[in-house]
Amino acid sequence: MSEQKYDPNKGYVALLGWSLNAIEAADKFDRRYVVVAPDWAEAYCKEHDIPYVPWNFERLNDRSVEIAQTLKEMGVDVAIPLFEETVEWAGAINSVLMDQPKLFGQSMLLRDKALMKRRAQLGGIRVGIFEEAHDRDDVIRFLKRVNQTLLKLDGDPNDPIHLKAFDKAGCLGHRVIRTPDEVDTIPEEEFPVLMESHLDGWEFAVEAWIHNGKVAFLNISEYVTLGYSVFVPATPDLEKYREQITREIEKLIKTFDIEFGFIHPEYFVTSDSTMYFGEVAYRPPGFKVFELLEKSYGFNAYQGMIMCFDPKTTEEEVKAFFPKEVVDAKGYAGCFGVYPRRRVVSKLEMPEETENHPYFESHELTPPLEETVTKRTAFGTHWGLVYFFGDDAYTMRDLLKHQEELDFYV
Amino acid sequence: MSSSDAGNPAPVVDFDKLVQRLDDAITALDESRSFAKAGKLPRVFDTVRRVLLQPGGCQAIQDRAERLEKAGVFLGTDWAEPSILLPQLTTYSLQSTEADTVIVEAMSELRLLSVALGHYAHDSVSAEQAHHYLTQVLAINLPMLFGEGGETEREQGKLAVISRSLVQHVASQIGYEHVIDRLIDEIWRILQQRPIQVNSVRQMITQIALCRSDPGVDLGSAGQGAERLISSLYGPTQACREDPGVAVYEERLSHMDSSALQGEATGFARSMHDTGLVSPYHASFMRFILENQDSLIAESLGLSMTGRDCLLRYRDLVLTLIREGVFPETSQGIYGLALLLERGILYQPPVEPALWRQTALSICPEARHRLELAFGYQPQPKAWLIQGVLNMLGQPLGVGQGNNPTCQAARALSMWAYNDPDYLLQMVTWAARDNEIIMHFEGTPVSSASSRGGVASEVTIDLDPVSLVVVPHLDRIYAEMGRLCIGRDGDPHRWVNPEFHGWSAGRGFRINVDVATGKLDNLEEFLRHFYASYHPDYNGNQPLVHPQPAGVAVTDSAARFIGWHAITILRIARDPEGVMRVYFYNPNNDSGQHWGGDVQVSTARKGERFGEASLPFEQFASRVYIFHFDPLERGEPAEVGAEELARVIDRVHQSWGRDRLPADTFQAEPPVV
Repeated sequence: MSEQKYDPNKGYVALLGWSLNAIEAADKFDRRYVVVAPDWAEAYCKEHDIPYVPWNFERLNDRSVEIAQTLKEMGVDVAIPLFEETVEWAGAINSVLMDQPKLFGQSMLLRDKALMKRRAQLGGIRVGIFEEAHDRDDVIRFLKRVNQTLLKLDGDPNDPIHLKAFDKAGCLGHRVIRTPDEVDTIPEEEFPVLMESHLDGWEFAVEAWIHNGKVAFLNISEYVTLGYSVFVPATPDLEKYREQITREIEKLIKTFDIEFGFIHPEYFVTSDSTMYFGEVAYRPPGFKVFELLEKSYGFNAYQGMIMCFDPKTTEEEVKAFFPKEVVDAKGYAGCFGVYPRRRVVSKLEMPEETENHPYFESHELTPPLEETVTKRTAFGTHWGLVYFFGDDAYTMRDLLKHQEELDFYV
Repeated sequence: MSSSDAGNPAPVVDFDKLVQRLDDAITALDESRSFAKAGKLPRVFDTVRRVLLQPGGCQAIQDRAERLEKAGVFLGTDWAEPSILLPQLTTYSLQSTEADTVIVEAMSELRLLSVALGHYAHDSVSAEQAHHYLTQVLAINLPMLFGEGGETEREQGKLAVISRSLVQHVASQIGYEHVIDRLIDEIWRILQQRPIQVNSVRQMITQIALCRSDPGVDLGSAGQGAERLISSLYGPTQACREDPGVAVYEERLSHMDSSALQGEATGFARSMHDTGLVSPYHASFMRFILENQDSLIAESLGLSMTGRDCLLRYRDLVLTLIREGVFPETSQGIYGLALLLERGILYQPPVEPALWRQTALSICPEARHRLELAFGYQPQPKAWLIQGVLNMLGQPLGVGQGNNPTCQAARALSMWAYNDPDYLLQMVTWAARDNEIIMHFEGTPVSSASSRGGVASEVTIDLDPVSLVVVPHLDRIYAEMGRLCIGRDGDPHRWVNPEFHGWSAGRGFRINVDVATGKLDNLEEFLRHFYASYHPDYNGNQPLVHPQPAGVAVTDSAARFIGWHAITILRIARDPEGVMRVYFYNPNNDSGQHWGGDVQVSTARKGERFGEASLPFEQFASRVYIFHFDPLERGEPAEVGAEELARVIDRVHQSWGRDRLPADTFQAEPPVV
C-alpha cells in the first residue's frame, strides 16, 4: 500500500519506467509522484494502491504528445527517466511540461552515443578516436587504422577496439574486438554500432546530482574490472583527481546545457593524468550504485534525484539533503557481478571464503535455471550481484578483484 | 549424545558483526513499504542462513523471531498462519535443497519455540499449541536429532547443518527427555480415537523404532512405553518378533503346525485390538490361512460371538473381501473388517450385495488416478478402495477431513457409514465408477459433475481411500446446494443440512447467531430449546435416535473464536462418574482439542466409544450454535435451572460470544466487560 504523505508545496513528479526501489523511495519521500509504466504494471499498482499511468514506451511517434498532455493535465511538474529507454521520453515530456523545447533536443543528444561524442568534442572535451560502423567492413577498416596509428607492425598483437550499441545502457551490447576474425562473430542485427579505440587507462564513473546548473553531489565510482565490479567511494588514488573531475563535470554540464537532474558519465584517466570522456547517461546507473551509495552514505539516491528534478526544490533543501563527499561516508560499499566460469553448472554454491569474509554483506544470486552456460560474447548479463561493505578501500578493491577467480556456480 | 552444533565450521566469522547485519536487514524489511517487501527478503533470508550456520545461530534467530515475523518474512506464505502448519510437512522443507525453503521453515520453528517458551505472545497461536506442534515436529524429525546423515543430507550440503542444528536446538529447549515420552503419549492419545488414517502415526512409531535400535543413542529411561507400539507394526507375534521381513515370515508359516498357527492368530488379534494398528505380517498371515486354514480367520480377527456369527453367515463375501483387498500394504483394512463384522451391519439386507458389487467394481480413470497418486501402484486401486470401505464401515467415527476445509463432507461420510451403510456404498460406487454423484435439493437434481466448484479449491490427498474418491464430489454438491440458497433469509444450513445428509437430519433448525449482524440472537431461548430437544432430563429421557448434524463455534485454548465447525451429535448419556455428557463426532483428525477455560474435549476415559469426543452437557451447550430437531416433536422450552443456564450463558460470553453481544442483552444478562 502506498502510505505516502506528500507536501503540496513541493513538486509533483512522474517516474518513467518500472523500478520498485525508485517507487519505494518516492513513496517514502515528500513529493507527490506517479509511476508511468507499461500496462503489465497495472495490476500490481492497483493491488498496492500505487499511483500509476499506463504507457508503453516504444519509439517516439505522433501519439507521444498524449502522455505529455495527460501528465500536464494531472499537474505533474517534471518527468524523471529511470532507464535509458525512457530518457528521450522524459526530454519530450519535460519540454511540454516546462515549455522548454530545448530539453527534447538535449535528451536526443544524451541518447545517441555518436552524437554525444561529437557534442562533447565541440565543447572542448577530450574523447578517444571513434567512428560509426554500418557493417563488418567498417569495423575491419577501423581496427586496422587504429593500429596503424599506433605504429604497430604486421604480426604485432593488435590493440583492441570497443563496439557499443548507440542507444543501450552501460555494458549491454559492448564487445571487444582484437582481430578481423572476431568481426565475423558480430550478428548482423547489431549494426549500426559505435566503435572506439581502446584507452589504456583507468576507467571510472561519476554520479552527479545537478540543481540549478550546479553540482549538488558528486560521487566517483571506482571500477575494479569493467562489467564485474564497482565500489563507492573510490580509493584515495582516484579521489585525488576529484578537483579535476569536478571541472570536467562542469564542462559537461555546460556543453550539454544541463540545468537540473542527474547524470552518470564515464571517463578514462590515462597514466599522464589526462581525462578522456567515454559517455554520459541521464538516468540512474546500473550495478546498483544507488544502493551502494545508500549503504555508504545513508542518503537515498533516488530521493536526491527526485529533488534535483523537481523545479520547486530550493537551494537550502538541496544543501541540507546531501552529505559531504567522502568524509561523510561510513565505509566502502562494493558489489561484484557473478558470471559462471564453467560451461556446465548444476548449482549455486557460495565460496566459503567469500561468505565468511568480514566484508561480505549479502548476495542476490539465484540457483541456475539451465545447466549449460551460454558463451558470453558481450558484457552486461551477469547472473546476480554480491555485496560487500567494509572500512578499507584497498581491501575492498582487492577483495572484488579476487572474486573473479572464484566459482559461484559449480 | 552431544548438544553441540557438530559439523559447523570453525567460528572464523565475526558473529556480532553478522548479527548486526541481520538486524540491519530486518530493519530494512520492516521499514519497507508492503509493495516492496519482496525485494528486501533475499537479504534477510541469506543473512539468516549465515547466522544459522554459526554456533549459537538458532538462539540468535529465536531471539529475533518476533521482529522477523512482524517485519514480514512470512507474508504471503503458509507460514504466516502457524495454526494451519502441519508437523509432517516440516521434514520435506527441512530436507529441501532450496535454501529459502529450509530457512523459512527454520525461522518458523524458532518463532514457535519463542512462542512456546512464553517470550512471544502470538496473535494466532498459543504457547501450548506451539509446544504441542514442536513436540510433533521433533517426533517426525527424530532422525535429525539422533541419526546419522543419510543420502538426503548429502544432497543437501551445508543446508543439512542448519536443519540438524535447528532440530537439536528445539529439542534442547523443549527437553530431550520428554520428546520421546511425549511422543509415545501422543501416539496413544491419537490411537485411542481409532482414526482410519494412521500414516503419520505409523511414521512416528517407525522413527522411535529406528531411534531405539540405534546403539549410538542413549535415551536413558525414556521411551520405555514404546514396545507395544513398535511390536504392533513390526513384530506382533512369536514368529515375526524380530521383524524378519515378509518373505522369511511366509516361509516360516509354511512350516508351522496348527497350534503354532493358532498362536499366531491370537497374537495378531490381541495386538490389533490393543492399538488399532495392523502389522503387514498380519496381512501375510491372513492371505496364507485363506488358502490353507480358513478356520483361523475368526481367531485372527479377534471376533466376539457377534462377529463370528456374522462371519459364518457371510463367509464367502468375507473371504472375497480379504482376497481382493487385504495385502501387506493395505493391512489396516483387517481392523476395519473385524469391526465391520462386530457391528452386524451385514444383516441389513442391502449391505451384502452392495459389498459384492464393491469387490468387482470397475474404477474410472479419475478416481484411479487419485488413488494411485496417494497410495502408489501396488496393490491395485481396487484393493485400496476395498480397504477404505472396510475401515469406514468398521470405524465410522474414524473418518478425518485431512488438511481440507471439508468438514461437512467428512461428517456426511461418517454419518452414513454409521447409520446408513448401504447408502455410503452407493455413494462410493457412483463416485468411483461413474465419476459423478447426483443428489437432490428440494427436488432439483444437483450433480457433482456440473458444479461450479467446491468449498475447497483443491482436495488434498492426505485422506483415506474412500474420502479421497468421494469427498471432491460431496464438496462440490455441498457448495452447489449453498448456492441454491442464495437470496434466502437466514443461515443456509437450515435447508442444506437435511438435504445433504439425508432424511434423518431434523428439519427443524435453530441458530443463536443473527446471520446479518453476527451478533448473538435469543441465546436463552435457544439453550432452553436445545435442552428440551437433547437433554434426557428435559426431553422425557428419550435417547437420540439418529445422529444429528450440529454446528459448534470452535475456540482455541485461550477461548478465542477460531471458526464455525460441523460435528455430529451422537448420544447424550451419563459418564462413569455420573456427569451428563454429549458424545459427538468431530471430523478433525484429532478430536482432543482444548476449547478454552475448562472446556477440554475428552476422547477417552469418560465413557467414550472409539472415535467419540465428549464434553459435559453444559460445556457443550456453550459452544453449540446450530442444531436440528424434529419439528413434530418440539416440546416446551425446558425449565432449565436459572443457575445452570446462567453458567452456560456466561461461558458463551466469555468465549466466542465475547464480541457478539447484541445491544439489548442487558435485561437477560449483564455482559461482563
